[in-house]
Amino acid sequence: MLQNRYLNKLKELPESVRQFGGLVVLTAIVILSFGILNIFWGGGDELIRKMKLEEERIAKEKKLNELISKLPSGILVTFDGTEKYKLTDELYEAVCNATELIPQRAIMAAHFLNYEAYELYTINGNKIDDTFVKWDEDKNKCFAGYTVSGNNVGVNKSAIVSGEVLSFLSTGIDTRVYFIKNF
Amino acid sequence: MELLKKYPKLFQWLFLLVVFFALCFAIDVPETYKFIRGQAEFVKDPNQSTYIIFGKEVRYYAFDNFWRLPPLLGWLPIWVNDSLFFLLNEWMPMEFWNEDTQEYKTRPLVLQITRNITAFMTFLIEFIREILLGGVETVVAFTSWDWLDKNPWAELPGLPWTIVAAGAAILGYKLSGKGLAIFAGLIMIYISVFGQWKPSMQTLSFILVAAPLSFIFGLCLGIMAYKSKRVEKALYPILLVMQTMPQYAVLVPAMVLFGIGDHAAVIITMVVAIPPMILLTILGLRAVPSEVIEAGKMSGCTNWQLMFKVLIPTARRDILIGVNQVIMVCFSMAVIAAFIGAKGLGWNLLLALNQLNIGLALEAGLCISLIAILLDKMSLAWANKQTDYFGNLTFFQRYKNTLFFAGAVLIGVILAYVGSFLFKDSFNYFNEVPHNKGISTADFWNKGVDWIWDTFFQTLKIFNTWLITEVLQPMRALYLRMPAVATLVLVVGAGYIVGGIRSAFTVGGLALFIALSPWWDRALVTAYMATFGVIASCIIGLTVGTLCQQNKYTTNFMLAVCDIFQTFPSFVYLIPVMMLFGVTDTSVLIAVIVYATIPATRYTIEGLRSVPTALHDAATMSGVTKLQRLINIEFPVALPHIMLGVNQTIVFALFMVIIGAFIGTEDLGQYILKALSDKKGGGKGLILGICVAFIALIFDNLIRTWVEKRKKHLGIA
Repeated sequence: MLQNRYLNKLKELPESVRQFGGLVVLTAIVILSFGILNIFWGGGDELIRKMKLEEERIAKEKKLNELISKLPSGILVTFDGTEKYKLTDELYEAVCNATELIPQRAIMAAHFLNYEAYELYTINGNKIDDTFVKWDEDKNKCFAGYTVSGNNVGVNKSAIVSGEVLSFLSTGIDTRVYFIKNF
Repeated sequence: MELLKKYPKLFQWLFLLVVFFALCFAIDVPETYKFIRGQAEFVKDPNQSTYIIFGKEVRYYAFDNFWRLPPLLGWLPIWVNDSLFFLLNEWMPMEFWNEDTQEYKTRPLVLQITRNITAFMTFLIEFIREILLGGVETVVAFTSWDWLDKNPWAELPGLPWTIVAAGAAILGYKLSGKGLAIFAGLIMIYISVFGQWKPSMQTLSFILVAAPLSFIFGLCLGIMAYKSKRVEKALYPILLVMQTMPQYAVLVPAMVLFGIGDHAAVIITMVVAIPPMILLTILGLRAVPSEVIEAGKMSGCTNWQLMFKVLIPTARRDILIGVNQVIMVCFSMAVIAAFIGAKGLGWNLLLALNQLNIGLALEAGLCISLIAILLDKMSLAWANKQTDYFGNLTFFQRYKNTLFFAGAVLIGVILAYVGSFLFKDSFNYFNEVPHNKGISTADFWNKGVDWIWDTFFQTLKIFNTWLITEVLQPMRALYLRMPAVATLVLVVGAGYIVGGIRSAFTVGGLALFIALSPWWDRALVTAYMATFGVIASCIIGLTVGTLCQQNKYTTNFMLAVCDIFQTFPSFVYLIPVMMLFGVTDTSVLIAVIVYATIPATRYTIEGLRSVPTALHDAATMSGVTKLQRLINIEFPVALPHIMLGVNQTIVFALFMVIIGAFIGTEDLGQYILKALSDKKGGGKGLILGICVAFIALIFDNLIRTWVEKRKKHLGIA
């Protein structure tokens, strides 16, 4: 009854007013639909957080790259008593954070002291699974390592070789691990 | 309230604009938003969000939904592509007899069908090409290579250019008299002398296959739609989309189904050329007076006789106008089809544009345009020619054209034979002037381009920089700054104000489809380029059209100019602008403006012409000046017609913007071009094409609805 009365009142309104009302309602519906969609699909805040992290990472990487480009090409060491370029404590940490590559030479050198890893490396066709280079906050030292496994040749064994990075190789473009002390 | 009642539409528009701008200012650009970042489908980034629908993973950058909607239709292109792949490679494998290997081979049904169609088309093209240019493939198809080795006389020699030129002149004479005969003869001589004979005949051969097939299919579907409402309703949305979809976009799925080459070009040309034929057939059949139909029925005609002896002959003119349209579409496709390997003038033009050899491009473009103008004139003359059923003619009068052609063939053959002795040590120029052996003006044009660059480099550069930095870039930024919600509100609101709730839902649905696709940003860039072109074209078209309409001679002259410009394939417009502005956005926009000004001018002239003379007289008697009459009477009455011109201008502008991708724009066209070289681009190309078609359809719906209402209001509906 009440509904009918309101409907009749609406129908009695002039055409121009009804049309204007229709436009207002339609606009509201469109905006409301976007609001509802935002509840299910809106991901803006999360993206902003992720993007900021990404941007920070890129900025940090850029800074490290600038630093590396200033280093002399050749072997960079962390210890005294050689003619090589000796890294300061700050530089040592920075170079560690900027380094990602562990070349074949460093891997082979580390193998000599880990026979199991050496054997797995020989039978799996010289394959390395994972590598890492990370800065240890507690020990204030740079550590690097890698995993070797025989999974690809049906040998269910794996070995982790890791140790302190005593020297790096600077190529002028990037830095690489030069020697891992795993003893 | 009184004001609201007095100016209801004004208040509605004001409200809509206030809401639109309020939304634009209220919603900030997200910190992470970058134009290129919005396009997620080509890059893998850990920051992307993903969802899976129908087993398809869609990656995208999630923003606040008020700013940009998530690409919820992102699965569609992948799904279309996978479906095409499934149909072609897996669906319904069957055993088919292989003639070459003489054994049964298992193949999916669709693949077999497409390969059969391909083989049939290739045969037809080769057959016509060998009649025009000579060759052995057709004879070998019916015999074998061994047989041909033993009977070398069976090789098709190809028609000498003299015979084709004479044939064209005789046909021109038969259709329209001396003027067209001379024009046709001169064009054929020009083509031959300038060494464009072979590519021209290659283009002609694929058009001679595509045009008749399009005519037959279009006529049949048109008749079916005329006879059955259901068929018409089913065809209507397809026809609408096909008329507004850029031809580029259809290339990609066709390439997936039929591969590349002349055969694929014929099929794609048919897909584009059939819709206008269907529409004009329906229009022609609908226009047949009911008295004629009744007279046919009273004479005892069967349905078949009524259709083919009464309706089609009565609607002959409209149907032949359809043939004219088919031919024009075929020519516009001649260049676009070159992207998928169609040989001929289009291929040469594309190659020359790629090498930035403007001279060569101009030569090829001029040839295409001249042949298009010739065929346009011939088909229109055919449409307008009345059949003389009662003439009491002698044998010679009846068959004089055939006799002349027979004579021309004889003379042509003798000339070619004489030529074989005369040019014994070189090419037989009486038979065919080889490509690159005729006269060439390419060097002249290239030097002209160099001169323009040397002389006007600074001026052009200043203009170019000003246009890009002061006009185009701010305009682009404004378009990209529009939040999705504001755009949707504007579109839906405009639909509601113009055509009510139904129109609002239609245009809203079309806009939503684009907003939910992964290419909303690109669609905005497309819209910005088209808008700039449309505004400039409308200003020029309205001014030129209004000025020319003041005089009978200038009106006829301008309509003739529009006719000629309309026959040019769209790619041809890129040549002069590339000459002047190089490979920049400015070139595309100027090409858009030139191309889209044609309908704006034509419809302005026709609109102003359609104002009844009684109104002119009434106005003059009321003592109004010429300017008052123009502003207060002629423009308001002609406005519905002019708006139809604006509608056409929008479609033309969108087409050219998409073709502009060839130069290197950043809009939807660029993605269509990328899809062409993508192995999995079929679905993408199709959906991108639909997006462009939907942009055009939004404006089409709004303008047509307004025009209908306005015509009713003016009492001219």
